[in-house]
Parts: sequence; C-alpha cells; structure tokens
Amino acid sequence: MNQGTFHVILFDSVSSALLAEKILKKQGLPFKIIPVPRHISSDCGVCIRISSPERDRIETALTGKVEIQGICPL
Amino acid sequence: MTREIDARGLACPQPVLLTKKALEDHSEIVVIVDNETAQENVKRMAQSQGCEVTIERRDGDINLLISKGCSCEIPDTEVTTQGTLVIVIGSDTMGRGDDGLGTVLMKSFIHTLLETSPQADSLIFFNTGVKLTIQGSEILEDLRTLSERGVKILVCGTCLDFFEMKDRLAAGIISNMYDITETMTGAGRLVQI
Repeated sequence: MNQGTFHVILFDSVSSALLAEKILKKQGLPFKIIPVPRHISSDCGVCIRISSPERDRIETALTGKVEIQGICPL
Repeated sequence: MTREIDARGLACPQPVLLTKKALEDHSEIVVIVDNETAQENVKRMAQSQGCEVTIERRDGDINLLISKGCSCEIPDTEVTTQGTLVIVIGSDTMGRGDDGLGTVLMKSFIHTLLETSPQADSLIFFNTGVKLTIQGSEILEDLRTLSERGVKILVCGTCLDFFEMKDRLAAGIISNMYDITETMTGAGRLVQI
C-alpha cells in the first residue's frame, strides 16, 4: 500500500471520517487514516489516504453512505 | 567529490540505508532510484539530516542530488546537546475521553511521526500501549518503517505478559523496566502521549 501515488478523501467532520473508516474496514478495502496535510488545510482534522488506483472502488463504497467533502491528490 | 549510488531495483529500505551510509563519508551524492516511494523515503531521510535535495527525472529514472551544505553541522550539534528524544506511549488511545476518537488520533499521530523532524530516538510502549505493537495492530507498518529508520522501539514485557500477548509481538523488542527507566531518565526530551 506504500507504493505509487496517493489521494486523500476529505470529510466535513471527524465523525464522517470515522464512519467512512468503518465502512472501508468492513469491506476490506485498503486505506490509511492520516492528518489532513498542511498544504490542503490548516484545520486540525483527519482524512483517509488511499492508493490512487483504488480511488473508484473506494469512492463507490462510500457514496450514499457518508458525505465526502472532496478528494484530492497527495 | 560526488559519489553516485545506483539504488534502482532495490527494495525498501535499501535505498535509504545506502544513502545514509554514503552521507557518512561524502558531502555530495547522487542517488538513482526508479520509483516514487524510494524517492520520497530517500528525500525525507536526507532532509531530516539537514541536507539539500534536488530531484531530476531522466528516462524514467529519478536522480536525487543530495548535498550536506554548511547548515548541516548546526542542527547536528543542537540535537546532541539536547540529548535523545524519547516518546512514551502508555495507552492504545491518544488522550482520555472517547476511545473511538483516541484510536484515530493515535493512528494519525504515529503517521505524523514518519514525517516529523528531528526523528525520535526511542519509542516506549507500556500498559495498553503495547496493544499497538502486536499482530493485527493498524499502525504496524508505520512502526516497522520507524524501526527501519533507526528508531528504537521498546515494548514493556510485563505488560505483554499481563495481556497474554507476548507471542503476538510484531514490532519492536521486548524490554524490561530497567531499560525503560534508563531510557526515560536519560532522555534529553521526553514526550508523553
């Protein structure tokens, strides 16, 4: 999972990030919880880092279940 | 004199280790890697040592020009006079209150350690903190990376024994109260989580 490029999924709240974590864990999808990178936001928040090729699969898994604020390349 | 290191095709953490070794004897080196993970790892390590890093891409390969620069000596001495940096983790969550939140914060904290300079010299895990070092822990990969970069990870043996997890240790080394106490009392800076 440490190979290649990454995207981060941003949420409007820590609770949403936690919910997303639960959903992805349940489905066995690869991800990592990290702090929101400084260059994206100065807020103290967490986000989900994913391997870029997994983006579609993970976005599909979350759509409709948790509100995603944005997805950006890392 | 510029020393060239060809780290193409080498698995992690080889490129980082080779770079580290070369920096001991040379003030300017060129490291050639063939993937971005290696590039980032080498870059981060060099920067944590106070070096300047310039990246050039050539025919699919990545050249990292690393130079020690004159500023390198200053942070080095500063760190030496301040002694070792020890981080003490006595719980599997970060902070008290909500465990769900504390778990996320801990993962986030350990991840951030990978990107923070200066690097810690030692991490000490005790009480429920030892649960972070056993099989199935979500921060294992990060702990192994820290370990590969030279961070000493001490895990309280009494605690592993108490939770009946001794045979499931997956990162760090089993330690005793003597080593743990000496590491803590001998620290220049001690960060308690």
